[in-house]
Amino acid sequence: MVTDNVTANDAVARLLLRQDVEAFLYHEANLLDERQYDDWLDLLTDDVRYWVPMRRNVKFGELEREFTREGQDINWFDEGKPTLIQRVQQIQTGVHWAEEPLSRLAHLVTNVEITDVQPDAADAGEVSLRCRFIIYRNRVQTETDILVGRREDTLRREDGQWRIARRKVLLDQNVLLAKNLTFFF
Amino acid sequence: MTITFQPSAFSGLVDRDNGLVSREIFVNHDIYAEEQERIFTRAWLFVGHESQVAKPGDFFISSMGEESVILCRDRQGEVHVFLNSCTHRGMKVCRYDEGNTPIFTCPYHGWSFATDGSLVGVPYYKDAYHEELDKSEWGLLRVPRMTNYKGGIWASWDPQAPDFLEYIGGFRTYLDILFDGWDGAEGGTEIIGGIEKWLVPSNWKFPAENFIGDRYHNISHRSVDLVGIGPSGQGRRDNRERDGAKSLDVSFPERGHGTVIFLRPADAQPVQSYQNDPIVAEYFYACEIARKERQGELWRILGGPGTIFPNMSYLPRQPRSIAVWHPRGPDQTEVWRWFLVDRSAPPEVKEFLRQYYIRYSGPSGLTEQDDMENWNYAHAASRGAMARRLRYNYQMGQGYAVDDFEDGGLHLPGTVLDTTKARAGEQNQRTFYTRWADFMAARDWDELAGWRNGKSANGHAAQGNGAAGR
Amino acid sequence: MADIVNLMELESGQAVRLDNDATAEIVSNPGDGVWLFVRYLSHPDDPAQVGVEDMVFAQVITEVLSE
Ligand code: FES
Ligand SMILES: [Fe+2]
Repeated sequence: MVTDNVTANDAVARLLLRQDVEAFLYHEANLLDERQYDDWLDLLTDDVRYWVPMRRNVKFGELEREFTREGQDINWFDEGKPTLIQRVQQIQTGVHWAEEPLSRLAHLVTNVEITDVQPDAADAGEVSLRCRFIIYRNRVQTETDILVGRREDTLRREDGQWRIARRKVLLDQNVLLAKNLTFFF
Repeated sequence: MTITFQPSAFSGLVDRDNGLVSREIFVNHDIYAEEQERIFTRAWLFVGHESQVAKPGDFFISSMGEESVILCRDRQGEVHVFLNSCTHRGMKVCRYDEGNTPIFTCPYHGWSFATDGSLVGVPYYKDAYHEELDKSEWGLLRVPRMTNYKGGIWASWDPQAPDFLEYIGGFRTYLDILFDGWDGAEGGTEIIGGIEKWLVPSNWKFPAENFIGDRYHNISHRSVDLVGIGPSGQGRRDNRERDGAKSLDVSFPERGHGTVIFLRPADAQPVQSYQNDPIVAEYFYACEIARKERQGELWRILGGPGTIFPNMSYLPRQPRSIAVWHPRGPDQTEVWRWFLVDRSAPPEVKEFLRQYYIRYSGPSGLTEQDDMENWNYAHAASRGAMARRLRYNYQMGQGYAVDDFEDGGLHLPGTVLDTTKARAGEQNQRTFYTRWADFMAARDWDELAGWRNGKSANGHAAQGNGAAGR
Repeated sequence: MADIVNLMELESGQAVRLDNDATAEIVSNPGDGVWLFVRYLSHPDDPAQVGVEDMVFAQVITEVLSE
């Protein structure tokens, strides 16, 4: 039956897309862990939005105030590509003492769920997804941070490859337990 | 608050005559515990900003020293600061960061406190207490001294503490640069939403002394200067407005406060800055003209980083913010950072500054990241049995400061070390530790208010009164 | 015995019964889940309390009388 074929094709397309997107996310995580920052910047669209709000303890029923607002409040990060490039440049000066010697990083990405596809799975031009992350950071001798949270990404296909157009990071901390955020989520 | 102890216990830790400070005061647990008693229950501490509790019932949970406090506005519109600990059995009454509430109800047994601190709800008051509990005696512990100075809310646990304006003395001239609008309008600033809070593995005094005027550590910001995040696209700040200005380190040894400033020449005119955005450049240029008009000679002063003893530091402009270094044990500091903008600035200006503030400051800021690395490992490397026997060196520029600084007819309040040619000095840090020693030695505020009789608690002649109080 | 009442779900205007059989109208709900500001509608033990405002504790509220 035609409908069965369509359904089957659609299921295969979604499976392939999922495979494709996950491979991209793991590749990206690897670039960060391998300190291939220039290659990582290439994975960002020129109009990328990178937003990491701070989180408040708020009363039940007032959860709309839990996160600091994009574009209005102070956030841990709320920026586009120019500032992200500057962060990479700073690490690459060799005298950015907070990253010299360089941190040892492991980005673990998991619980990947595709939440939206445009226009469709077989011909995806833009994908929205959410996932969980654990970032393990160890530097100098015993300095260790473990940051856990949720991420919501929008990927856009440009010149036949995926690029990150938007990243929202919901870090599961109130008072930040790390002394700095010199790495990328 | 009067403290009984042997003042000699801490003498010798700060050798002000030779510019030496024992490392013990940074790493020693007993000294840390004494600091909580002698400094943090007696000094004026920054608690928050008026704009955070604008409406009746608004509250913001802050910290004084190690302890959580509630800053709130009651139904009558009055602002209070309370210890955030239930008077019944100590439970943290409010565990939210901020909000609006008619009452604070304790989760443990249900005692409930009004926003003016009074105990209004006691479960089974009739049956269990037989109405014999005197509720009026069991309200939240109110911080007895509180002041709202140009929107900044300050508090002290010590009923004997001098008024806040006496506490800051002549430093007021410099603090005003932080809280007034950039055009000079009285208290014309407000807070941008979102207070940064994070932990730094370092004693609280490292950042406090850094901000009081450590020009010497400029080199540690080489990487951000190379990248250029400043509001005119270069360096980390826009230094154009400082052209031809003198660099001065100003401090008040009898009070412990200090700041670095830039003093423009007597014939200086406003210059364009914040060149990355024409609207912002135009705004600040107009402000500079208005400010010059309003303030006359004082306009020549451009503020830099400063510290109000003990643990409130600030940057008055680039980027305009307040940091409080909350002690969390000798080896850890919880930093809270508030960001200020001119209340009447157009949205484009506020947005431009917000972005600049984020990329400059705090754990995600390209500048402050390197500061924290230094505080972290300076502290860590000072803790060992041998390392702590050494003393830190604060001898730079010793003997070169003056109490009667004058330039082009402008007399500056405070003890001034001209660092224009020297580029750096440690007069302000010596001031900070002199005052630290005073607080550790003094029995009460009679001894701490040494400027009243020309003597400090350490017995040295109070210097640098300058134009204090004018 | 009626089900335990979650004060978070109550609004001003609603009426509640207390364990001393008094009934009261909610004047305002502070939203803490522990207390309600009420005005007595009836008070068998002390009729003079009718019309008087009071703070009542969650554990003495036995029943919600009106939606
Ligand atoms: S500790 Fe707060 S009511 Fe008992
Ligand atoms: Fe610095």
